[in-house]
Amino acid sequence: MSMNVQPDINFIKDMKEAGGDTLKKCFQCATCSVVCPLSSDDNPFPRREMIFAQWGLKDKLIGDPNVFLCHQCGDCSAYCPRGAKPGDVLGAIRAYSYKHFGWPAGLANLASSGKNLPILIAIPAVIIFIFWLISGGMHFPSTEEFVHAGYGHFFGHWNFGLLAKNVLFIDILMLSAAGVAVYSVFKGVTALWKKMAENAGVGEALYKPSIPQFVKEFLWPSVVEIVQHDRFRECKTNADRVRGHLPLMWAFMALAFVTAYSAFAQDVLGIFIPSLHGPMSLWNPVKIVANVAAIALVVGTGILWGNRSQMEADGLASKTFYDWFLIWMIMGVGVTGIGAELFRLIGLVSIGYVTYFLHLVAVMMLFLYMPYTKFAHIVYRTAAMAFERYRDSAYVKNPLNEE
Amino acid sequence: MSDTAGNGAVLVVGGGISGLTAALEAAEVGNDVYIIDKNPYFGGRVAQLNQYFPKLCPPTCGLEINFKRVKDNRKVRTYTMTTVTSVSGGPGNYEVTLETAPRYVNSNCTACGDCAEVCTDEIDNAFNFGMNKTKAIYLPHEMAFPRRFVLDKDACSADCLEAIKGACKYNAIDTEMQAKTFTVNVGSIVWATGWDPYDAGKLDNLKPESSPAIITNMMMERMAADNGPTGGKILRPGDDKEIESIAFVQCAGSRDENHLEFCSYICCMATFKQMTYVRERYPEAKIYVFYIDLRTPGKYEKFREKLMNDENSEFIKGKVADIIAEDDGGVTMVAENAVTGAKVHQKVDMCVLATGMQPALGDQGKALGVNMDGNGFVVSEPDKGMIAAGCAKSAADVYTSAQSATAAALKAIQIGR
Repeated sequence: MSMNVQPDINFIKDMKEAGGDTLKKCFQCATCSVVCPLSSDDNPFPRREMIFAQWGLKDKLIGDPNVFLCHQCGDCSAYCPRGAKPGDVLGAIRAYSYKHFGWPAGLANLASSGKNLPILIAIPAVIIFIFWLISGGMHFPSTEEFVHAGYGHFFGHWNFGLLAKNVLFIDILMLSAAGVAVYSVFKGVTALWKKMAENAGVGEALYKPSIPQFVKEFLWPSVVEIVQHDRFRECKTNADRVRGHLPLMWAFMALAFVTAYSAFAQDVLGIFIPSLHGPMSLWNPVKIVANVAAIALVVGTGILWGNRSQMEADGLASKTFYDWFLIWMIMGVGVTGIGAELFRLIGLVSIGYVTYFLHLVAVMMLFLYMPYTKFAHIVYRTAAMAFERYRDSAYVKNPLNEE
Repeated sequence: MSDTAGNGAVLVVGGGISGLTAALEAAEVGNDVYIIDKNPYFGGRVAQLNQYFPKLCPPTCGLEINFKRVKDNRKVRTYTMTTVTSVSGGPGNYEVTLETAPRYVNSNCTACGDCAEVCTDEIDNAFNFGMNKTKAIYLPHEMAFPRRFVLDKDACSADCLEAIKGACKYNAIDTEMQAKTFTVNVGSIVWATGWDPYDAGKLDNLKPESSPAIITNMMMERMAADNGPTGGKILRPGDDKEIESIAFVQCAGSRDENHLEFCSYICCMATFKQMTYVRERYPEAKIYVFYIDLRTPGKYEKFREKLMNDENSEFIKGKVADIIAEDDGGVTMVAENAVTGAKVHQKVDMCVLATGMQPALGDQGKALGVNMDGNGFVVSEPDKGMIAAGCAKSAADVYTSAQSATAAALKAIQIGR
């Protein structure tokens, strides 16, 4: 067997930057593939990914579902006889993949390096500031108005046609940020799927699953598995992360529901029933869900924060911008969100307004950079898990299905 | 025999093949030599082997001639059950304090064995890694030198001690014997402290405690030896099954920064050698060797070639990282075959962990002022008259150890001339 190896030097450099600098220590003993609780018998990892990375075989790695099936349990790194930290290397490959599949490339590159942190904060901050400026709402309201309207008059308070002006501004900002992200991540995940199919030698199948079949057989079981954290719980060395990640995930789902409800109530129903505008009562069931979720978000992130610091202190993980940026962003969203609410409740207008501004910045960052940061794992890992099921299914494996 | 010596005396710490060689080389050119060993016998790890490289001789072959040379040489003074407690002075003029633990058997002993006959208490046989029992008063092994029994007093009841004393016709049993401390003045010290098999219990992912079918390569040596616990038969501990399949787990604790960072040098060769033990007894047995790389330095390459051509043997490139104990007494090896890229689950009757060499001197060496590297090997300082030999210096085979011991002797005799 011969193999024409054409290493991509820049890829190796990128690996090093993203925390995979230990990869060259690997001597291919394959301990990692055996101690990994998530590695399968037919497609074990991360030993193979380690040698691909050493050889700079970028093409093999960006279409390798194993890279995303890895949950960075850390068992591989704990048992690695060479300190090659396969867990960190696979994390670095994921970081590289998000950048590689990210669109637009400029933004993807920007979001991959800690050096750009000021710019990454400045982009949404400046945009929101300008919007605030041109909205004409840039003044602190009276305490009475604040109690009554909360941050509902942040961007001014006259009606623009039938839509509340504030709602319109928020929608323009957040929906466009989310729109770019959704388009980008869709483009990315489609490219990833193609690459995975190509690398796995999944040719043109005579039978392809229809979209409902695909959802039912591959996507939905993966989502269920993710929600239940089944694989995450297999981890031994870093098992504690489940305690942080699970509340965080539920908080995200609850907040997505609350936000959608709030948007519908304020943006749609509010056109007809103006009383739906303004802050909700603390005893409104939706508000209770929102507040519980907000606390879960901060607590979950806090646990992950502590966990990661501990792992780094113990030498089990490298300190990377890629890992920390997402923790910081989510923590930022949670803390400014709860802060803004508390300041509203105690009636501190100016501090409240500034905190709310920061909250908008944090939320926009989370939306805007989702496809390029660790946040992208919610889409890419789901796709890889669906692909793993697809690869082992009769659509691919059944010899009758081959031309 | 006097405990004083002339100028240029040499202390050799450790009486294995390296220590014996260094002691004899120094003594045979006229230097006074003290040689000590913490065991009740000389011969060290080589004495425990079934066969040793390069010619696959039984240990009697190399050790007996050395014992005879020691006995015939008036320049060599031997002390068993003896350790170093402190070192002071400097090159050419070291004052070393030694302590001899009580053997409870004096030099009247003729090794007739009458005491063991009447002894009712038993202890684990350390020489055989606890695979069988021995009487609490025992000859460490058949060719033990000095040929004198040793008593594990704490393991004996008062009645048993009385019986032992009564059985001895030579008044050799002295249950009141005390530890004895004494000093020697020497010009230089040769550290030939050797090695211990790496503690397999530390390999937690391999779970060596989970099944008696998981043994170490040194246990295998004892099993294969005619004077071992099974009389030379290779049987699965626990149920004494004659094995039909066996796996060797290479680098069990070696080349691993969580255990021994270095390559222990001998384990690949030991495995090839032990494959021949298996083959001689079980021509049809399946043999599986799991390895990262096979390291067979120099002319040993030929030996590797021969054994890799064995039809019933399979070599799998991948380190065993999990062992599962099975209900039928066997064990399943789990590894990833790095050549095929798939995981291997191989069930075998018995498996051998090719554990490496842990330098035996340990932290105690540092306390005595010995220069040691990060792995615990002794770094020679010839100018200071502190010289390492054999496996105390680096992981090595017998042949290389003897070479380094001769070199150490040459350096040692140059101090204080």
